[in-house]
Amino acid sequence: MRHLLLKLEPVIWLLFGQGIMIGTMLLTAYLAVVGVAIPLGIVSPDALAYERALRLGSSLIGRVVLFALIALPMWKGAHHVRHLSLDMGGLSRDAVVAPILYGLALLGNLLALIAVVRLH
Amino acid sequence: MARAAHPHAMSPSRPGRTRTAPPQMPAQFPTSGRYFTYTLFGSTGILYLLCGFGALRAVWLLGSGRTAWEGLQRDYAQAPLILLHVVCLAAVIFVGVRFFRLFPKAQPAKIGPAKPPPRPILHAGLYAAWIVVSGGLALVMAGGIF
Repeated sequence: MRHLLLKLEPVIWLLFGQGIMIGTMLLTAYLAVVGVAIPLGIVSPDALAYERALRLGSSLIGRVVLFALIALPMWKGAHHVRHLSLDMGGLSRDAVVAPILYGLALLGNLLALIAVVRLH
Repeated sequence: MARAAHPHAMSPSRPGRTRTAPPQMPAQFPTSGRYFTYTLFGSTGILYLLCGFGALRAVWLLGSGRTAWEGLQRDYAQAPLILLHVVCLAAVIFVGVRFFRLFPKAQPAKIGPAKPPPRPILHAGLYAAWIVVSGGLALVMAGGIF
Protein backbone atom coordinates (compact mmCIF):
# COMPACT_ATOMS: atom_id res chain seq x y z
CA MET A 1 0.00 0.00 0.00
CA ARG A 2 2.84 2.40 0.88
CA HIS A 3 4.40 1.70 -2.49
CA LEU A 4 1.12 2.54 -4.27
CA LEU A 5 0.65 5.73 -2.24
CA LEU A 6 4.16 6.88 -3.11
CA LYS A 7 3.49 6.24 -6.79
CA LEU A 8 0.19 8.14 -6.63
CA GLU A 9 1.76 11.04 -4.71
CA PRO A 10 2.17 13.33 -7.79
CA VAL A 11 -1.50 12.88 -8.75
CA ILE A 12 -2.67 13.39 -5.18
CA TRP A 13 -0.48 16.50 -4.86
CA LEU A 14 -1.97 17.90 -8.08
CA LEU A 15 -5.52 17.37 -6.77
CA PHE A 16 -4.54 18.72 -3.34
CA GLY A 17 -3.03 21.84 -4.93
CA GLN A 18 -6.11 22.44 -7.05
CA GLY A 19 -8.25 21.81 -3.97
CA ILE A 20 -6.49 24.64 -2.17
CA MET A 21 -6.32 27.01 -5.14
CA ILE A 22 -9.58 26.50 -7.05
CA GLY A 23 -11.50 24.91 -4.19
CA THR A 24 -10.84 27.93 -1.97
CA MET A 25 -11.95 30.38 -4.67
CA LEU A 26 -15.21 28.47 -5.31
CA LEU A 27 -15.99 27.67 -1.67
CA THR A 28 -15.62 31.32 -0.66
CA ALA A 29 -18.51 32.30 -2.93
CA TYR A 30 -20.61 29.21 -2.16
CA LEU A 31 -20.33 29.54 1.63
CA ALA A 32 -20.81 33.32 1.58
CA VAL A 33 -23.96 33.25 -0.55
CA VAL A 34 -25.62 29.84 -0.03
CA GLY A 35 -24.44 29.22 3.54
CA VAL A 36 -24.61 32.69 5.06
CA ALA A 37 -26.13 35.52 2.96
CA ILE A 38 -29.33 33.77 1.83
CA PRO A 39 -30.15 32.18 5.22
CA LEU A 40 -29.58 35.54 6.96
CA GLY A 41 -31.78 37.36 4.46
CA ILE A 42 -28.93 39.53 3.11
CA VAL A 43 -29.64 38.07 -0.33
CA SER A 44 -33.17 37.24 -1.43
CA PRO A 45 -33.98 33.49 -1.35
CA ASP A 46 -35.46 33.95 -4.85
CA ALA A 47 -31.88 34.16 -6.14
CA LEU A 48 -31.59 30.41 -5.68
CA ALA A 49 -35.24 29.47 -6.08
CA TYR A 50 -35.58 25.94 -7.48
CA GLU A 51 -36.09 26.86 -11.16
CA ARG A 52 -33.19 29.32 -11.25
CA ALA A 53 -30.82 27.06 -9.27
CA LEU A 54 -31.62 24.14 -11.58
CA ARG A 55 -31.20 26.26 -14.71
CA LEU A 56 -27.78 27.50 -13.54
CA GLY A 57 -26.65 24.11 -12.26
CA SER A 58 -27.72 22.08 -15.27
CA SER A 59 -25.86 24.21 -17.84
CA LEU A 60 -22.50 22.81 -18.98
CA ILE A 61 -20.50 25.48 -17.14
CA GLY A 62 -22.74 25.07 -14.11
CA ARG A 63 -22.07 21.33 -13.98
CA VAL A 64 -18.30 21.82 -14.30
CA VAL A 65 -18.26 24.47 -11.56
CA LEU A 66 -20.42 22.38 -9.24
CA PHE A 67 -18.26 19.29 -9.82
CA ALA A 68 -15.10 21.29 -9.06
CA LEU A 69 -16.78 22.85 -6.01
CA ILE A 70 -17.54 19.40 -4.58
CA ALA A 71 -14.59 17.32 -5.79
CA LEU A 72 -11.51 19.50 -5.29
CA PRO A 73 -12.03 20.50 -1.63
CA MET A 74 -12.38 16.79 -0.80
CA TRP A 75 -8.81 16.12 -2.03
CA LYS A 76 -7.48 19.12 -0.14
CA GLY A 77 -9.28 17.88 2.96
CA ALA A 78 -8.19 14.26 2.61
CA HIS A 79 -4.52 15.11 2.03
CA HIS A 80 -4.35 17.67 4.83
CA VAL A 81 -6.08 15.39 7.33
CA ARG A 82 -3.70 12.58 6.34
CA HIS A 83 -0.72 14.81 7.05
CA LEU A 84 -2.27 15.97 10.31
CA SER A 85 -2.55 12.29 11.24
CA LEU A 86 1.11 11.75 10.25
CA ASP A 87 2.20 14.71 12.38
CA MET A 88 0.19 13.60 15.38
CA GLY A 89 0.54 9.84 15.23
CA GLY A 90 3.53 9.06 13.04
CA LEU A 91 3.83 6.74 10.09
CA SER A 92 2.58 3.58 11.78
CA ARG A 93 -1.14 4.11 11.14
CA ASP A 94 -0.73 5.77 7.74
CA ALA A 95 -1.31 2.49 5.92
CA VAL A 96 -4.87 2.56 7.28
CA VAL A 97 -5.58 6.31 7.46
CA ALA A 98 -4.41 7.27 3.96
CA PRO A 99 -6.49 4.70 2.02
CA ILE A 100 -9.58 5.57 4.08
CA LEU A 101 -9.22 9.31 3.43
CA TYR A 102 -8.33 9.06 -0.26
CA GLY A 103 -11.03 6.41 -0.69
CA LEU A 104 -13.53 8.80 0.87
CA ALA A 105 -12.45 11.58 -1.51
CA LEU A 106 -12.66 9.22 -4.49
CA LEU A 107 -16.12 8.02 -3.46
CA GLY A 108 -17.20 11.64 -3.01
CA ASN A 109 -15.90 12.47 -6.47
CA LEU A 110 -17.84 9.60 -8.03
CA LEU A 111 -21.01 10.69 -6.25
CA ALA A 112 -20.34 14.28 -7.36
CA LEU A 113 -20.13 13.11 -10.95
CA ILE A 114 -23.48 11.32 -10.60
CA ALA A 115 -25.00 14.34 -8.82
CA VAL A 116 -24.10 16.78 -11.61
CA VAL A 117 -25.11 14.36 -14.37
CA ARG A 118 -28.59 13.91 -12.87
CA LEU A 119 -29.28 17.66 -12.88
CA HIS A 120 -31.82 18.28 -15.63
CA MET B 1 11.22 -3.30 -21.50
CA ALA B 2 12.42 -1.46 -18.40
CA ARG B 3 10.48 -1.97 -15.21
CA ALA B 4 8.82 0.92 -13.41
CA ALA B 5 11.17 2.63 -10.96
CA HIS B 6 10.79 1.64 -7.33
CA PRO B 7 10.15 4.70 -5.13
CA HIS B 8 12.97 3.62 -2.78
CA ALA B 9 15.40 2.73 -5.57
CA MET B 10 17.81 5.50 -4.60
CA SER B 11 17.81 4.89 -0.85
CA PRO B 12 21.04 3.36 0.57
CA SER B 13 20.96 -0.37 1.25
CA ARG B 14 22.16 0.17 4.83
CA PRO B 15 22.41 3.18 7.16
CA GLY B 16 25.40 5.47 6.68
CA ARG B 17 28.27 5.59 9.19
CA THR B 18 27.46 9.11 10.34
CA ARG B 19 25.27 8.82 13.40
CA THR B 20 22.30 11.14 13.59
CA ALA B 21 20.26 12.14 16.60
CA PRO B 22 16.88 10.41 16.85
CA PRO B 23 14.01 12.65 15.69
CA GLN B 24 12.33 14.55 18.50
CA MET B 25 8.99 16.29 18.63
CA PRO B 26 9.50 20.07 19.00
CA ALA B 27 8.51 21.24 22.47
CA GLN B 28 5.95 23.72 21.12
CA PHE B 29 4.22 21.23 18.81
CA PRO B 30 1.28 21.14 18.12
CA THR B 31 -0.50 24.13 19.67
CA SER B 32 2.12 26.65 20.80
CA GLY B 33 4.22 29.23 19.00
CA ARG B 34 4.45 29.00 15.24
CA TYR B 35 3.13 25.42 15.28
CA PHE B 36 -0.33 26.66 16.22
CA THR B 37 -1.03 28.17 12.78
CA TYR B 38 0.56 25.11 11.13
CA THR B 39 -1.79 22.79 13.05
CA LEU B 40 -4.71 25.09 12.38
CA PHE B 41 -3.90 25.06 8.65
CA GLY B 42 -3.83 21.25 8.65
CA SER B 43 -7.06 21.06 10.65
CA THR B 44 -8.91 23.02 7.99
CA GLY B 45 -8.77 19.78 5.99
CA ILE B 46 -11.60 18.45 8.18
CA LEU B 47 -13.75 21.47 7.28
CA TYR B 48 -12.90 21.17 3.58
CA LEU B 49 -14.03 17.54 3.64
CA LEU B 50 -17.23 18.62 5.38
CA CYS B 51 -17.77 21.43 2.84
CA GLY B 52 -17.24 19.03 -0.07
CA PHE B 53 -19.81 16.56 1.27
CA GLY B 54 -22.15 19.42 2.22
CA ALA B 55 -22.02 20.77 -1.33
CA LEU B 56 -22.52 17.23 -2.65
CA ARG B 57 -25.69 16.93 -0.54
CA ALA B 58 -26.94 20.29 -1.84
CA VAL B 59 -26.39 19.37 -5.51
CA TRP B 60 -27.87 15.92 -4.97
CA LEU B 61 -31.01 17.43 -3.43
CA LEU B 62 -31.23 19.97 -6.25
CA GLY B 63 -31.36 17.04 -8.65
CA SER B 64 -34.01 15.32 -6.52
CA GLY B 65 -36.70 17.94 -7.11
CA ARG B 66 -38.30 21.06 -5.75
CA THR B 67 -39.42 19.62 -2.39
CA ALA B 68 -35.95 18.32 -1.54
CA TRP B 69 -34.30 21.62 -2.57
CA GLU B 70 -36.71 23.72 -0.52
CA GLY B 71 -36.16 21.38 2.44
CA LEU B 72 -32.43 21.99 2.15
CA GLN B 73 -32.96 25.76 2.14
CA ARG B 74 -35.04 25.44 5.31
CA ASP B 75 -32.23 23.39 6.91
CA TYR B 76 -29.67 26.00 5.92
CA ALA B 77 -31.71 28.74 7.63
CA GLN B 78 -31.25 27.09 11.05
CA ALA B 79 -28.78 28.78 13.42
CA PRO B 80 -26.37 25.82 13.94
CA LEU B 81 -25.88 25.41 10.17
CA ILE B 82 -25.40 29.16 9.66
CA LEU B 83 -22.77 29.10 12.42
CA LEU B 84 -21.05 26.10 10.81
CA HIS B 85 -21.00 27.90 7.45
CA VAL B 86 -19.53 31.03 9.07
CA VAL B 87 -16.78 28.89 10.66
CA CYS B 88 -16.14 27.16 7.31
CA LEU B 89 -16.01 30.52 5.53
CA ALA B 90 -13.46 31.80 8.06
CA ALA B 91 -11.40 28.62 7.55
CA VAL B 92 -11.52 28.99 3.76
CA ILE B 93 -10.38 32.62 3.94
CA PHE B 94 -7.59 31.63 6.36
CA VAL B 95 -6.42 28.90 3.95
CA GLY B 96 -6.55 31.29 0.99
CA VAL B 97 -4.55 34.02 2.73
CA ARG B 98 -1.93 31.57 4.04
CA PHE B 99 -1.62 29.60 0.82
CA PHE B 100 -1.47 32.64 -1.45
CA ARG B 101 1.28 34.08 0.76
CA LEU B 102 3.19 30.80 0.58
CA PHE B 103 2.70 30.13 -3.14
CA PRO B 104 5.04 32.81 -4.57
CA LYS B 105 7.82 31.71 -2.19
CA ALA B 106 7.48 28.10 -3.33
CA GLN B 107 8.10 28.84 -7.01
CA PRO B 108 11.36 27.64 -8.56
CA ALA B 109 13.83 30.39 -9.44
CA LYS B 110 13.79 29.32 -13.07
CA ILE B 111 12.00 26.74 -15.25
CA GLY B 112 14.18 26.32 -18.32
CA PRO B 113 14.56 29.75 -19.89
CA ALA B 114 11.45 31.12 -18.15
CA LYS B 115 11.58 32.96 -14.85
CA PRO B 116 8.47 33.37 -12.71
CA PRO B 117 7.21 36.94 -12.29
CA PRO B 118 8.37 38.86 -9.18
CA ARG B 119 6.75 37.70 -5.96
CA PRO B 120 4.59 40.80 -5.36
CA ILE B 121 3.12 40.50 -8.87
CA LEU B 122 2.41 36.79 -8.39
CA HIS B 123 0.88 37.52 -4.99
CA ALA B 124 -1.31 40.30 -6.40
CA GLY B 125 -2.32 38.06 -9.33
CA LEU B 126 -3.50 35.33 -6.96
CA TYR B 127 -5.60 37.80 -4.99
CA ALA B 128 -7.01 39.25 -8.21
CA ALA B 129 -7.97 35.74 -9.40
CA TRP B 130 -9.58 35.02 -6.02
CA ILE B 131 -11.62 38.23 -6.14
CA VAL B 132 -12.68 37.73 -9.77
CA VAL B 133 -13.62 34.03 -9.42
CA SER B 134 -15.30 34.30 -6.01
CA GLY B 135 -16.92 37.64 -6.78
CA GLY B 136 -18.18 36.45 -10.16
CA LEU B 137 -19.60 33.22 -8.76
CA ALA B 138 -21.16 35.05 -5.81
CA LEU B 139 -22.80 37.54 -8.19
CA VAL B 140 -24.24 34.69 -10.29
CA MET B 141 -25.55 32.81 -7.25
CA ALA B 142 -26.96 35.97 -5.65
CA GLY B 143 -28.88 36.80 -8.80
CA GLY B 144 -26.78 39.83 -9.73
CA ILE B 145 -26.02 38.48 -13.21
CA PHE B 146 -27.55 35.73 -15.41
